[in-house]
Amino acid sequence: MSTRLRDAAIRHLRSRGGTGKGEGAVQRLSLDIEVSGRVETVILSLRDQDLQCVSSDGLSDGHHVIAALHFVAGLESHGDAPNAGPMLSPAVADEPRPPTELADALDDLLTAITRVGAGDAQYAPSVDAALERLIEAAPSPTPSGLGRFVGRLRRELGSENARGIARMLDGAARLVEALRSDSPSEECKRRIDAWLGAGSRANPEIEVLYDRTMVEVGREWLPGAERASIERRYLVDVHTGAIYREDRPRNAVASLGPCPRELRVGLAEVEAGAAPRRIRVLQYEVEPQVLQETWERLKQTASPSFAEVTDGYRRSLGAEPALSEPFALIKPYRIETNGVFKAFDPEGHQLVLDRTERRGAVLAFYELLAQGIEPAWLAGRLTDTGGTVCLSPFAIGTRDGRYLRL
Amino acid sequence: MAHGTELDLDALELCFREGLASSEGADPREALGCGPDATDAEVARALVRVIAASDIAAIGTLSLDPDAARHPSVRPPTEVTADPSFLGRLSTAGSGELSVEQIDDMATLLAVLRAGSRRQRRAALMRVRERIIDRRLLQTDASRKAVQTLAELRDVELGYELAQTRTQLPGGTGREARNEREQWRRLAQRVESDIRAFWDGQSSVEPIHILPGDQRALLLLQICDLPDLVVNHISAIIEGTDGGVPLESRIGLLASLRYATDRRLVPTLVSVLEAERGELVARAARVLGGIEDARVHPALVERFERSFLLEERLALAGALGMHGDCRGLPEVRSSLEDPQPRLLLQALEAMESLGASEHTDLVSKFIEHPDVVIATQAARAAGRIADGRGLDELTERYNASSVPALRAAIEDALSAIAARMELRGEEVATIDWSEVRNKPAPPKGSRDSLPAITLGWRDYAMGRLWLVLGQSSWAVARFESAAARRIGWASPLIGIGMAFAHQEQYALALPAFRRALELDRPRIERNPILVRAMAKSFLHRAEQIEREGRDDVARGLVGEVLTLDLRRAPGTVRFELKRKHDVLRREEPDDVHSAA
Repeated sequence: MSTRLRDAAIRHLRSRGGTGKGEGAVQRLSLDIEVSGRVETVILSLRDQDLQCVSSDGLSDGHHVIAALHFVAGLESHGDAPNAGPMLSPAVADEPRPPTELADALDDLLTAITRVGAGDAQYAPSVDAALERLIEAAPSPTPSGLGRFVGRLRRELGSENARGIARMLDGAARLVEALRSDSPSEECKRRIDAWLGAGSRANPEIEVLYDRTMVEVGREWLPGAERASIERRYLVDVHTGAIYREDRPRNAVASLGPCPRELRVGLAEVEAGAAPRRIRVLQYEVEPQVLQETWERLKQTASPSFAEVTDGYRRSLGAEPALSEPFALIKPYRIETNGVFKAFDPEGHQLVLDRTERRGAVLAFYELLAQGIEPAWLAGRLTDTGGTVCLSPFAIGTRDGRYLRL
Repeated sequence: MAHGTELDLDALELCFREGLASSEGADPREALGCGPDATDAEVARALVRVIAASDIAAIGTLSLDPDAARHPSVRPPTEVTADPSFLGRLSTAGSGELSVEQIDDMATLLAVLRAGSRRQRRAALMRVRERIIDRRLLQTDASRKAVQTLAELRDVELGYELAQTRTQLPGGTGREARNEREQWRRLAQRVESDIRAFWDGQSSVEPIHILPGDQRALLLLQICDLPDLVVNHISAIIEGTDGGVPLESRIGLLASLRYATDRRLVPTLVSVLEAERGELVARAARVLGGIEDARVHPALVERFERSFLLEERLALAGALGMHGDCRGLPEVRSSLEDPQPRLLLQALEAMESLGASEHTDLVSKFIEHPDVVIATQAARAAGRIADGRGLDELTERYNASSVPALRAAIEDALSAIAARMELRGEEVATIDWSEVRNKPAPPKGSRDSLPAITLGWRDYAMGRLWLVLGQSSWAVARFESAAARRIGWASPLIGIGMAFAHQEQYALALPAFRRALELDRPRIERNPILVRAMAKSFLHRAEQIEREGRDDVARGLVGEVLTLDLRRAPGTVRFELKRKHDVLRREEPDDVHSAA
């Protein structure tokens, strides 16, 4: 879906707003759209200055949404004529670029950085140009996986972290391989889904969840192709301990409610892909205050073994080095607060806090420790520095059963 | 591929860091097992695969990287202006020699309460509270003076702490504060239950948005004591994840939280700084400026460094100033020095936390600004800077002005300056209010005849009686009759205004209050009951008119009442009037997008 298309739809919806008092204004449109024999309801809402789009399959940028936008924008060109003409096929109107173009752009980026060197790549015009070409070659709007790759790569380039850059580029190289494959394996298909979204092919691998209770323990804004373009919420299933991410691109809709919150999920879809797996919550109820017993259950799901956490982290990075951003809920066996916070599991494996990210949260955590608050569990994104697994903290549960968002 | 040894890996990593094109790096083709004809793209893919694989394989938890195991410094170095005076060095917590918590002298605490920064004033108030809770100390003269000061203090910025402290006071002030607390408790319970209904889907009406302004201010003033459910709900609105509240209401809610100190709001406000732009960022920054929390300063700095909208930068500079970081001062100063300054009000607000003695002249010149709101803000900033050299100019302006709100702000500023001079050990400035000239005196009415006076009193007394008996319309008729008999008599007009205000007929109350103000403004301004009713009438009428979409008229009403001396009106009403004025007077959202 191009920005131009969205703008055209906004213009048209505004033009239907009426100019005089009492004429009314369009705030929300609901359309049943059929694409490839499948009917979905698309909701277009004008909120603040933005147009929010979502279809009943949970996608905000799928074929049904694009078709709905074309329908609305198409009316604009035909004025108020009741017979607005046939709906344009999304395939005709927003011609997807061939996957090889994206693969070539990724390959160019990889080559440009490797030629210039990871130390100087952030200043190299050739790398900037390659990044621009990549975004141009990507479907529009930029899929959140690819966008997140761009955001993370820029960050690694900025910090001149050669190993981090290598991981990003290794992930990109694997996608190139998958995109160029004539008969892609299931793994290749999963990889393409993770980068370009599950809507990028006909039968994506999706797990359907019913009747789950989840707790959102943290959320953050992440850079994608643009700064702060993805809001990521971390949801934990209080029965299985599975951790999901709900990614909300800017101007798109996702489940409602504050953080923390308890979600009683009636229906959700989980995509295969990098950890944590992406969830789309389709039917749910929100409890804006998490019950004490739910916190207790959540605590039970926290991992007591840091060796397992580390293995999982390593496996996840090995599978998707560029997209994997594992999140963990850990239950320290004991902690050390002598100068630096260290959490230990019963076998002596240790975790420290990542002090390079979410600096304010880390400082606040140390303040809590200074006040004598001891964490019963900790939730955070896993990272690593110099071969040491670290935790970028998002929330702590105290021994007296309180939750503190960082 | 020959990439088994550590040595190879180091060389490959160096090659990746330096670049294939670098003449210093050796050709990695052989080490990577690529043929001599392999393209750069093939070599690049092989190179990053090897480096990434070895890097990931090395991850563990038994060893600890020294860099990862370093303690984060408590605060990054900031550019703090060194103020060597007592107030400059006075900390708000801790057991240091110069800490508010260590001060026992009540006179010093009261001076800090008038002249300190917001944090210092807050700490001083809590210290005074500790002292007066000890009933044994209440009998001393100093404590009696403290009780009197607390009863008279009208500092909106300390609303929560003041409300808490007053509940401990004896007498009428304490009773009133306890009543207000009870009123807040009932309101909080009602809102909590409405919020549950909202999220349960039983109600589609957002409960905080529909509260009258003064009630919302009352509720949010004591947000620290609200349950998690309400705070989470407020967070959802601010983040725009409640499902329906428009942008205007998010901005309005942030404005209502201006002086909130609840740390539970920090993650939400920080996310607004990270992801939003324009006015939302500016308002979130102002709230964060007043919250003491380790997360605040890094978030403000990060946003300040990448923001290019003046509106955002001024608010961020002021908020950073409240955290002792003056990196935004040059920008605020140049904004005020501009021959045609933009966002003057915002720049003057920022000067409250950033200004120092050398900025007195820069700020004071705006006290003569034709816009009363800007002139009043300049007086407030001058009071916070509290440089003794500004006394003469402020006094002169006080004498020359006939605008009650400006005179009240200058009075407060003069008190703050006097208190600061006292704390600096300088000769205490004595402001002889009797020398003040040109005080607007109530106009003398023409002398009424004895029958007119007698009949006027009779009508007035009957009006009061009907009012007590609940017959408002009859009471108003009697008051009208009394006012007609004695043209220059304000009492019946006040009676009419109060009767209509009691019936929530604010449109009818306004003309009566306006006529009463023309005849005897000081009487209304000095009476807490009258000034509360009058201010609430203006506020509620403005809200009614705003709901009808007539923002200009609403803005006029709020602007009109803000020219009066409202220091005896409840803090919540004053705060809400100021907030509404800010919201109504702001320009349309800027089209220029920041680097959000």
